[in-house]
Amino acid sequence: MDPQALENDALAAVATAASTDEIERVRVEYLGRKSELKLALREVRDRETGTALNALRERLEGAIDGREAELARAELDRQLTEDVVDVTLPGEEFQLGTLHPTTLTRRIIEDAFLGLGYEVIDDREVETVHYNFDQLAFAPTHPSRSHRDTFFVDDERLLRTETSPSQIHVMEAKQPPIYMVSLGRVYRRDEITATRFPIFHQFEGLAVDRSLTLADLKGTLLHVMRALFGEQRQVRFRTHFFPFTEPSMEPDVSCPICDMRGCRTCKFTGWIELGGSGMVDPEVLTNVGIEPEEWTGFAFGCGIERSAQLRHGISEIRPFWENDLRTLRQF
Amino acid sequence: MRVPLSWLRDYVAVGMPLDELASRLDVSTAVVAAVEHRGVPDLDGNLALFRIGKVLEAGKHPDADRLQLCVVDVGEAEPYQIVCGAWNFGVGATVAVALPGAELPGGLVLERRTLRGKESAGMILSERELQLGEDHLGIIVLDDGEAGTPLADVLPIHDVVLDLEITGNRPDLLSVYGVAREVAALFRLDLEPPPGMDPAREGDETVKVTVEDWEGCPRYVGRLFRDVRIGPSPAWLRARLNAAGMRPISNVVDVTNYVMLGLGNPLHAFDYETLADGEIVVRRARADERTLRTLDGVERALDPSDLMIADAKRAVAFAGIMGGEETEISDTTTHVLLEAANFEPTGLWRTSERLRLPTEGSNRWVKGVDPYLAEHAAALATELIVKLTGGHWVGHTDARAQLPERPVVRFRPERASAFIGLEVDSEEQHDILARLGNERRDGEYLVPSWRARDLWREVDLIEEIARFRLADVPFTLPVRREMMGRLSRFQRLRRQVEDALVALGCSEVYTPSLVESDSADDALRLQEPISVELAVMRTALLPSLVDAARQNADAGNERIALFEIARVYLPRRDELPEERVRVAGILEGGFLHTKGVVEALLRVLHVDANWMRSEHPLLHPGKAARIEAGVVGELHPTQLDGVWGAFELDLDTLFARVPERIVYEDVLTYPAVLQDIAVAVREEVEVGALVDTAREAAGPLLREAKVFDVYRGEQVGEGRKSVALHLSFQSSERTLTDEEAAEARGRIVEALVDRFDAALRA
Ligand SMILES: [Zn+2]
Repeated sequence: MDPQALENDALAAVATAASTDEIERVRVEYLGRKSELKLALREVRDRETGTALNALRERLEGAIDGREAELARAELDRQLTEDVVDVTLPGEEFQLGTLHPTTLTRRIIEDAFLGLGYEVIDDREVETVHYNFDQLAFAPTHPSRSHRDTFFVDDERLLRTETSPSQIHVMEAKQPPIYMVSLGRVYRRDEITATRFPIFHQFEGLAVDRSLTLADLKGTLLHVMRALFGEQRQVRFRTHFFPFTEPSMEPDVSCPICDMRGCRTCKFTGWIELGGSGMVDPEVLTNVGIEPEEWTGFAFGCGIERSAQLRHGISEIRPFWENDLRTLRQF
Repeated sequence: MRVPLSWLRDYVAVGMPLDELASRLDVSTAVVAAVEHRGVPDLDGNLALFRIGKVLEAGKHPDADRLQLCVVDVGEAEPYQIVCGAWNFGVGATVAVALPGAELPGGLVLERRTLRGKESAGMILSERELQLGEDHLGIIVLDDGEAGTPLADVLPIHDVVLDLEITGNRPDLLSVYGVAREVAALFRLDLEPPPGMDPAREGDETVKVTVEDWEGCPRYVGRLFRDVRIGPSPAWLRARLNAAGMRPISNVVDVTNYVMLGLGNPLHAFDYETLADGEIVVRRARADERTLRTLDGVERALDPSDLMIADAKRAVAFAGIMGGEETEISDTTTHVLLEAANFEPTGLWRTSERLRLPTEGSNRWVKGVDPYLAEHAAALATELIVKLTGGHWVGHTDARAQLPERPVVRFRPERASAFIGLEVDSEEQHDILARLGNERRDGEYLVPSWRARDLWREVDLIEEIARFRLADVPFTLPVRREMMGRLSRFQRLRRQVEDALVALGCSEVYTPSLVESDSADDALRLQEPISVELAVMRTALLPSLVDAARQNADAGNERIALFEIARVYLPRRDELPEERVRVAGILEGGFLHTKGVVEALLRVLHVDANWMRSEHPLLHPGKAARIEAGVVGELHPTQLDGVWGAFELDLDTLFARVPERIVYEDVLTYPAVLQDIAVAVREEVEVGALVDTAREAAGPLLREAKVFDVYRGEQVGEGRKSVALHLSFQSSERTLTDEEAAEARGRIVEALVDRFDAALRA
């Protein structure tokens, strides 16, 4: 056997092998049990020849392994190029639910207030005249006390008309400083229309501390409005009247739909009326045993659905209560 | 409150641009709901084409029976010939004329035209054509005026009406004069004195007024007029009432309404001859007085708490709310008794509430009318009645109790600045308060009588400063102390429940807490619901969710899965109901599908539940389960078409079982020994009982026991089933030996055989 010739033949065969099958045949031919090299190795008697032939065997093994890996990779590549999926086919479907827009908005409000260091309060909805009106300094002749405006269960019990009774509960339970926001359902005896439903959700922030100012109310409200409607929003105030605040103001937020250029939502004024606000009336503080010379407070509230309407461009109230999945699955 | 600017200008010289007036009022005083332009367009020169005309000739159109051919002096060199369709005037009448080229309200431009062969140069106008009113009767006939005088000088043919939303604390603004006072203060303008001056009284007849209830009626001015001629009011008065939103009726009634709108004090006029003994008694209704027919023709029940105006014999009016039909002013009335009174708000509010009868008058009384206003109101009304009806004022009475003192309020300018968060110069503060009619006395202010109910504390005066400077108040945040914000445990877990159910494929809904009927007989019921569908406070969420699912199915929506978190209201006799927050869900699919969703929710919360067979009216009798927090089951097939699952759980109960914190267990260091067993038991044995028994028998080494197959078939035998369990034995302290696992497994098998007559199959 001529080792040199054998090596040359084998390397030539390795180089020309075009598939993993072929390289396997080359392996059998040159390194198999009956190959010339294996037979020669069995015959070796001297150390020098043995070393030389083993080195040759290792070289051939290396060459064959290398070529085989190359060919295997090429074959895999070829195979994968043919294994094609239409990536535009829909994926396996997992059914996902959705949070209601009222909840989505509620969370934004909660988080904005949490960031300001407020507690979140979720309180009872069936209330007494005492908590819903008397403690909040509603005049005996205030129209909300009318059975036309408010749902009564009997002369003493009613469905709360705003979330404010929960503020009384908290203020009765502890001394200031108080920073809280209450959220939940409220009830007004309104006929059902495209934009009104007798049940809706409200949020109402309350702060009572030493030397809080009207300016603090304006700043806090601006912060919350920006959290709800975007950092570009502006807020302005107009004098109003609420029994439980003095002074009272109606905040307007710059229209998030048209960015003050004027649109149907803002009636082409650039501003949207949004709830009520004011400094807590000293009578309310006195009613719950808080000294108004020592502590001042502010409060402001707004409808959650109304906020969600503005956030999502929903012009009617109906979608919030009809619960149609075609609507809900958009959120 | 509708405020015509033409009227407002009687009392204050409004010269600023309209925008500025509206926006200042809007920010500092009351919402300006609308700015309404009425009447003739105020375009260049247009108003000059509307003139007073004198009718020089008038006669039938030669070729048209229904038309009048007039010659009218309009102040030009030559009179104009005008064809007119109305006949309520003749030669010598002073009329309102629009000349050719004039643009009428609504945009019609007049041209010279020929009617049945006669040229008509212009138009003789009615109220309707000028948008002054709705009168169809005919053209406007003015009292007098020189031909050619601009019509705008005598009638508000172009006007702007501000529609103000007056808040409950400002009844003083429910009058044009009150708004004028506010405008004067806001813009530093001079204010005319209140209108109305008593003419000379022409007699000294007694007006018998007896007030039996001074609390309800602290003041009653009664005035008697004789020989009054009832008829329509003049055009200017009709125009003002119309612009302010009230319909003119007849001169005396119009005067009472005009004074109410002008000054804010509601008045009433009685036909004097219909009052028994010509007497007025102010008292509560008597027990034997049943009803009164009010002037709207409705027979209304009396309650002994109602404050009534009565004559010597009977009640004739609900004080301050509405007069009676029998004593109202009619076309034939000749003697009039005028009431300018003051009524206390609370009692009047109760009557108005009970009668469901809010009127323009009661709306002012319930907010509180200045008791000192009655004499001004009486003067203005007297002046107008005498002037417009030719009547004679012959009698006067002013019955009054001690009227309330004007409040004196301490005021500290530095406190105002600190409270507002804006440094306002103290001189400016004093100036604002003075302009609003407050009189300064050392460190105190004497509040004007028309604001006495609203300004009685320092903070009320601070509000006056704040509203004048509202736009200048900066945006700051509180300097915080000792508070931190975070969600409560309940709120955190509630969000987890919401998120888990969304991830499990359920969409959140909000359904009304008011329902048509509820399974609880004593559920809270509204006294006056707005509809039968929203009448009862629900004690469960599931029925509402069934409705929501049905509506979605009807809409053709697929793979319906809904949940809601809301309160239910559990009645407690006379107390407030117990309100519990619940989560409920409804989803397409059978019992095990819904149970799977609930189990996944429980896993999210790390809550173990005990599943027990149960019953529920809305659920399938064989497929209803109860866990500690509520019910889970398959919907009763009568509820909805198809197979549906539903659950309703109480959140507090559920959250009570949520561990405070998750305690780590080492499950990696020492491997678990896994074994499966299968046992055959009678069909009625619940697999839950097998698992419980296995746990009990094996003790803490049994980390997990899970049913993975239930098999029925010949090999198991009739009435029996084979239940296969994965068992996983593990210790967190050492590697278990095979012997330990085998021994625990043995105890399980023994217990199952013992308790359930189980046969070990593998
Ligand atoms: Zn807009």
